[in-house]
Amino acid sequence: MKVFIYPTNSLILSDLVERFGHEPLAVMQEVGKKVRTQSLDSPPMNITPEDPKLGLKYAAVEVPSGVRGRMSLFDPLISNAEAAIIVRDPVVSFGCMGCARTNELVNFLIRAKKIPLLELDYPATEDEAKEFVYKISQFLKNLTAEGKK
Amino acid sequence: MDTITKMVVINSAKVLPSDVVIKLYESNADVMIKETCFGVMVSGERAIVDALLGSIRKMDPYGIFIKERGFSPGEPYRCRATRRGGARPGFHALETENKILPHIASALRALDKGEIPVQKPHKRKLDVEKLKEIIKESEVTQ
Amino acid sequence: MSTENPVRIAELSCGVEYSGIQKEIESAVKQVNAVMVYPEVDIADIEAIEEEFGLKVASPDLKLMMARAKSIVTGRVHVDAVFVATCFRCAEAAIVRSEIRRYIHEKAGIPVISYSFTERTTAGTLLTRMEALTTTARRKSLLAREKQSGLTAGIDSGSTTTKAVVMKDNKIIGKGWVPTIKVIESAEEAYTNALKEAGVARSEIQALGTTGYGRFLIGEHFKADLVQEEITVNSKGAVYLADKQKGTATVLDIGGMDNKAISVIDGIPGMFTMGGICAGASGRFLEMTAKRLGVSITELGALAVKGKASNVKMNSYCIVFGIQSLVNSLAAGSAPEDVAAAACHSVAEQLFEQQLQEIDVKEPVIMCGGTALIEGLPKAMEELLKVKVIVPENAQYIGAVGAALLVSGFISK
Repeated sequence: MKVFIYPTNSLILSDLVERFGHEPLAVMQEVGKKVRTQSLDSPPMNITPEDPKLGLKYAAVEVPSGVRGRMSLFDPLISNAEAAIIVRDPVVSFGCMGCARTNELVNFLIRAKKIPLLELDYPATEDEAKEFVYKISQFLKNLTAEGKK
Repeated sequence: MDTITKMVVINSAKVLPSDVVIKLYESNADVMIKETCFGVMVSGERAIVDALLGSIRKMDPYGIFIKERGFSPGEPYRCRATRRGGARPGFHALETENKILPHIASALRALDKGEIPVQKPHKRKLDVEKLKEIIKESEVTQ
Repeated sequence: MSTENPVRIAELSCGVEYSGIQKEIESAVKQVNAVMVYPEVDIADIEAIEEEFGLKVASPDLKLMMARAKSIVTGRVHVDAVFVATCFRCAEAAIVRSEIRRYIHEKAGIPVISYSFTERTTAGTLLTRMEALTTTARRKSLLAREKQSGLTAGIDSGSTTTKAVVMKDNKIIGKGWVPTIKVIESAEEAYTNALKEAGVARSEIQALGTTGYGRFLIGEHFKADLVQEEITVNSKGAVYLADKQKGTATVLDIGGMDNKAISVIDGIPGMFTMGGICAGASGRFLEMTAKRLGVSITELGALAVKGKASNVKMNSYCIVFGIQSLVNSLAAGSAPEDVAAAACHSVAEQLFEQQLQEIDVKEPVIMCGGTALIEGLPKAMEELLKVKVIVPENAQYIGAVGAALLVSGFISK
């Protein structure tokens, strides 16, 4: 199944989803598609002033252009998500995840999709990490079972 | 053809980035390889990269972590060498995640052993009545 | 210019890449022979920055901005100037942007500009700001010049009017002021008038400087020795005309199309803002008001001084709706002098709310440009700022005088 992850650029979440047999929906894939398009005309990411306009699908014009530009980048991830893992209080994460308002909106839209969803806290200790990984593995196993049904 | 780049982040006691690089070269696969401070970056056709990294992961399943990367290795707009100054924003994100990888490794080991961790109840804010009691008690002891 | 080392500008920004305007920034920077640099920080700096800076924010990229600002202030990275930019309409970022600008300006003493952008921001919009930023960083010795020497001229090709002056031995000896119709022809006319009044031939002028919107075009036409944006030129012109060359000052210039608010130290711009989105905060608004009141623009100021702005209800700064409010008040029996005062108040208030909050207003406050002569405007500004506003003699020639003064440094020895 296509599993949306938040933070959407997380190494750990991306790795775990793949490790347990699903496809992580991560923002790096979308950045990759942008930068690999022929003739990079709006470096560094090939996001052009057109993207914030596409972001109007999610947020009105009174919402800052940076939020709308990011939303256009996240759009395919939100549309294609079949399940999701959201880490509630991730550690600092920059770039694509650098804007708190965008992150709030993305999380809301994922919750509103009513797809299988696991929300959990970022681990600080070894014990918490064990709980974190265990919950994720169980969630992903259940998805596999559901998928087979 | 879907050309992608994947980052192999190595946080392992038994595998070094150079070991991974040697193994990648031995495979003779049609990929581009770049050793970095975190591990290795591999670029190539998606199917080839995925198959190759499946075998790399087996070198140390608890010490090798993989994610896709949007930019190609050495991309001048992102590379520290050419963008004058500090690292790209994503580097700091990776730095923070890297710190907790040993805990994730130990959790994966525990999972493979079939350990079921004790689930901690979610922390709640203290009841205001209880707080009042504590304040009163502290007043008495003073 | 090409032989000079590029000016190193630190980019502290959030949202730029996602608004699709990084390319525009790079293009503007390239045109002024500068490069953008990204101050080095490490993760420990970022983690500690909220406590150290004392400002907690939700957006990680804003933390990164604060950490990069600290990297500049502690001297870990060497830069000549700083460009701070965040998305327009983001409240969290506006707070961080403003505090970072103040922090760097106070602790590092290097020029900083702050800008809030949208996806419509272009290299053209950024160019004047970047030019001012790099000039301040690059030409400190030129800007230190306090006296005009020799026989020089300055032409200020503004969006509405073109001004020219001829100066000799630190005195203005000829002036020309004409409406801008065709950029070059209007400049020719203003310059010819100034030369005529001065009684000198064009060939006698030892050096010529140009500024204003049309500076590049007329600079080329007249083979000017100095082509300079209006932030640095006006700062210099204002402190010269007001005789406030030393110490701090604030220069306000409400133009035909845009406004400048510049915080000046020893005649050199520190922080500055340029507004240019809303016509309601421009000289054009006052021109339209004068027309509705059936008076000439030169009479509007005196009329406004006699009136009371609070007697007229205005619900909008907009050039369309604001004027409509004024027309309605006239129909409802308001006195023309009150309407004139309300118009001046509206323009002053918009400058106060939208631009003066972005810079540190320090006395003396010097008001320049043609609009400064509309007496009601400096009066309205005084009421809002609660400080005395100085309108120097020849305030409308600020740009031309600044250019003539600065270019005297170019007279071949």
